[in-house]
Amino acid sequence: MKFRVELVWTDDDAGAASSIFLTADGRVILQGRAVSPQVREAMALPAQGDMISVDRNLIRAIKDML
Amino acid sequence: MFLKNYWYVAAYDHEIERRPVGRIILGEPVVLYRLQDGTPVALEDRCAHRHLPLSMGKLVGDELQCHYHGLRYDKTGTCVRVPGQDMIPRSARVKSYRVVERYHWLWIWMGDPALADPDTIPDFHWFDDPAWGAKGQYLHVKSNWQLIVDNLLDLTHLAFVHETTIGNSALVDQAQVKVQRSGDNVTVTRWIVDAPAPPTFVKAGGFATNVDRWQIINFAPPAFLRLDVGATPTGTGAPEGKRVGGIGMWNLNAITPETETTSHYFWGQAHNFDVKNPKTTDMIIEQIRTAFLEDVAVFEAQQRNLQMIPNPPQTDINADSGVIQARRILDRLHQEEQAAAAKMVAAE
Repeated sequence: MKFRVELVWTDDDAGAASSIFLTADGRVILQGRAVSPQVREAMALPAQGDMISVDRNLIRAIKDML
Repeated sequence: MFLKNYWYVAAYDHEIERRPVGRIILGEPVVLYRLQDGTPVALEDRCAHRHLPLSMGKLVGDELQCHYHGLRYDKTGTCVRVPGQDMIPRSARVKSYRVVERYHWLWIWMGDPALADPDTIPDFHWFDDPAWGAKGQYLHVKSNWQLIVDNLLDLTHLAFVHETTIGNSALVDQAQVKVQRSGDNVTVTRWIVDAPAPPTFVKAGGFATNVDRWQIINFAPPAFLRLDVGATPTGTGAPEGKRVGGIGMWNLNAITPETETTSHYFWGQAHNFDVKNPKTTDMIIEQIRTAFLEDVAVFEAQQRNLQMIPNPPQTDINADSGVIQARRILDRLHQEEQAAAAKMVAAE
């Protein structure tokens, strides 16, 4: 681990957003929950590729902080 | 860029007595003094007659007399005497500013007086709190105020600017930093868990084991930065919010723009150990002051470059995350203030 930054945007109701991590190797990593095959099927989401479900506050965090 | 509708620190309480003091704040000349009952007053530092700074004058009772032709002003900025004539022109008045005395500072409101609410003065209670030893200092800095804000929100410069005083490369090499935005505030947090205490902490806290250290920076616009730093013996629960058996300090900063290229830097340090010993307070202040003078040399060199090449392109790095958040907040607040002012002018 080298220098790493976690960005968190907090709403007025103090509900914390999921984190955005800026890593030393230049990546931006978002925190979320993996979308299970069952959920993909139920919601007719594409079966390919990694998918994560994120808090709406994370979108605000991306918009306001990145 | 100045944000007008905020409280700013104009002076230390002990600086302002019965002798008028002139100070430029947000590009406006201001004269500060006290009435006979001790109430602080702030007026525009420019006689309405021939523009001499009123701070060159003197107090006659509670009236401020201009040094040039003797016009006198009351605490509201209204001219109440013109030597040699009974008739006082209605235009003979200067701007007055709201002033509040709190935390050993005199706070001034430079914007719309209708918006001046003392409840919005940020908390600097450590200067008054008997549970803390504390002392303040002042630095005049030949740089834009935002360069100072940038510096205080950035922990990584410690390793380089303060290499020989309070920093080391471990501050950058293996750091985990958390930047939180909440409303118009930014908090930058860093924990160093289960690490040897630095020599200054050993001396102050008598640590015999490894410690958990915290560095928590809070930014509130326009330029208030409160740094919460300290350490407790490792494993006693400080990262979870339980601070026992350790030491804590607050580095307290209020930056007031003087002009676009110069700043008034009010700062102080509070400590929760050996609180009744002024020698301890002085020793801590001296250590911090040495480091801050290293910072001032950086600000002033940056400013000189910025004046030669205005608005040059600049590269941001991960360590700037807190700085970037503060800059965004300040830019937005400035745009909002400008829009509100334009709306008011249009309505008039």
